[in-house]
Amino acid sequence: MAVSNQYSLSSENNDITVSHIIEVLDSHNYLADEELATALFLLLKLHKPILLEGPPGIGKTELALVLAALLHTDLIRLQCYEGLDVNTSVYEWNYQKQLLGIKLQEGSTLSIEEKEKHIFGEDYLLKRPLLQSISAKDRSPVLLIDEIDRSDEEFEAFLLELLSSFQISIPEIGTIRAIHKPFVVLTSNRTRELSDALKRRCLYQWIDYPELEKEIAIVRKKLPGIEEALLNQVVACVQKIRQIKLIKTPGVSETIDWAQSLMALGYREVNAKAFNQTLGSVLKAVEDITLVKTAELEELLRS
Amino acid sequence: MKPQAFSSNSISGSIIAFGQFLRSYNMNVGMQEMQDALLAIKELDITNYNTFKFALKPLFCASPEDRLLFEKLFVLFWNTNPLDLNEKSNTKVRGASKKRDPGSLVMMGKGAAGKQDEEGKNVSGANAAERLRTTDFSKINEIDAKQLEQISDQLFKEMALRLRRRMQQSNRRGQINLRRTIRKSLNYGGEAIDLSYRFKKPKKQRLIVLLDVSGSMDKYSFFLLRFLFALREHFRQMEAFIFSTKLVRISSILAQNQLETALLFLSQQARNWSSGTKIGDCLTEFNDKYGKRLLNGSPVFIVLSDGLDTGLPDILGKELQKIRRRSKRIIWLNPLKGMKDYQPVQRGIKEALPSLDDFMSAHNLNSLLELENILSYV
Repeated sequence: MAVSNQYSLSSENNDITVSHIIEVLDSHNYLADEELATALFLLLKLHKPILLEGPPGIGKTELALVLAALLHTDLIRLQCYEGLDVNTSVYEWNYQKQLLGIKLQEGSTLSIEEKEKHIFGEDYLLKRPLLQSISAKDRSPVLLIDEIDRSDEEFEAFLLELLSSFQISIPEIGTIRAIHKPFVVLTSNRTRELSDALKRRCLYQWIDYPELEKEIAIVRKKLPGIEEALLNQVVACVQKIRQIKLIKTPGVSETIDWAQSLMALGYREVNAKAFNQTLGSVLKAVEDITLVKTAELEELLRS
Repeated sequence: MKPQAFSSNSISGSIIAFGQFLRSYNMNVGMQEMQDALLAIKELDITNYNTFKFALKPLFCASPEDRLLFEKLFVLFWNTNPLDLNEKSNTKVRGASKKRDPGSLVMMGKGAAGKQDEEGKNVSGANAAERLRTTDFSKINEIDAKQLEQISDQLFKEMALRLRRRMQQSNRRGQINLRRTIRKSLNYGGEAIDLSYRFKKPKKQRLIVLLDVSGSMDKYSFFLLRFLFALREHFRQMEAFIFSTKLVRISSILAQNQLETALLFLSQQARNWSSGTKIGDCLTEFNDKYGKRLLNGSPVFIVLSDGLDTGLPDILGKELQKIRRRSKRIIWLNPLKGMKDYQPVQRGIKEALPSLDDFMSAHNLNSLLELENILSYV
């Protein structure tokens, strides 16, 4: 595949630099500052997992998607939730197939040991994200472990083991070791404190709400057709809303959603009607909406 | 002298010194981090100030607070010109050494007393123990206090153990474990005759405890703190705070199981705070700062306080309602409730009452142990 070096990265490439990373991310519509790019550089060079923490909706997950795209590799995603266990995250045997397999062997002269070996072979193994990530054949995939703070401590401890040795043992088969270590991106909304041990395994990066200029640039990148006046108004307004104490503070993705809704409805500026009509795309709690509505619109739009 | 970049004449030496410097400020920088840092700078153009800083930052930091501290310390360490040395040499490293003094009894208003009166102990039997269990904490004298400590340690330990056991017995037969069942069925040619089950793992109940350490609680908070340590034995995922006019998180002290440190800390705080209790404000602070993070998965919320609020009205009730929405149960333990004709008429407790699931006394050992009955069913 002939992809120009301008828009891609290769982990084997020795002459990537921090500024190159910024450029490439930019070409994939992701604006990164030097700090984040340096952390990514270390991720690629040292093969250390990166832990992205920050409020929801500011592009943590997006970063992993972009990273996979520009490395031209697979993205393997594991969404964490409370009660996530080894069966759903690492591997599971395909029980139906195993039952069939046993039935098919009924007449055969194989010994029990041989039969067992057969139905616990790789054909009967369902690979879940974590196992997939270390069994890649030709190049390192990007493994996204999303919202790790939602999983419970036991899973975190298990993950720790995986992240340090990149190997998984399956009793029936043996140990599977990664040929190409995955690039691991973990994200967390900080709804719970992660263990120190896990943090120490990772490069830590905190992503915060962007400044006014940066947010304008981000929205412009995502919505190239937007008019400047509307863009400035929308972003300035969201920035002001963030100053208010809300239950759910809007992230960048909400800003983009809002701008998009306004554009779709044909508004060229944010006025009272537009504001009321589309507020639902920025604020996601009734209390917040009433609170913001009481704040004067003029106040919010004044720059 | 403050460690500084120029004290070493190699870059790796300086980085190691920097790591140690960060460590002296309680940042978690170990061998692994240092090693990674040295590997990282090999890959980068470190003549660029920012590149250098941004490379070390994700390696050495582990939280937003760390990142703020890092920025400050980085400047302190790397930005000094050796020529300015003479003017700046009086700056001291903070927190390098800490004095230890026994703080346990200070806050009970007993100062240095009770140091060497081992011999003066009362002769005690079962009766004495029984009596102590029902004596109000505030009416216990010095000699009994020691004994009560021993008894309470013992009883709290037993309580923690009982709570643990109950947890294990409540297991029931759960889902079928397909994996093991299939494996066993091989012997019968694929007929699943022996079914294996997977037990449902008991869910660990999370616990959040707020302890009032204001002047009016003085006599009680000492024992109540011991009680917190006992609870922690069972509830591994426990968050603890102390408050009077301000809220302080003590979970990490609790996690390290350092009763001495906690008592010392408490006695220091007790000296600073004597200006009433602002329960409402403290709950607001809790909701703002920790609410999002800690009130997940409906924890049990316990307040240990006499409810004598000196803050503004209405806040307490409102904030408690907020907590109630996200927690499984709110339990208020009030030492005053043990008094004979106690009526919950003080403004603070009156505001709180509608949000509470349980309102219990906490004036003596027996009343504390009663909490076990509630906790074992949550």
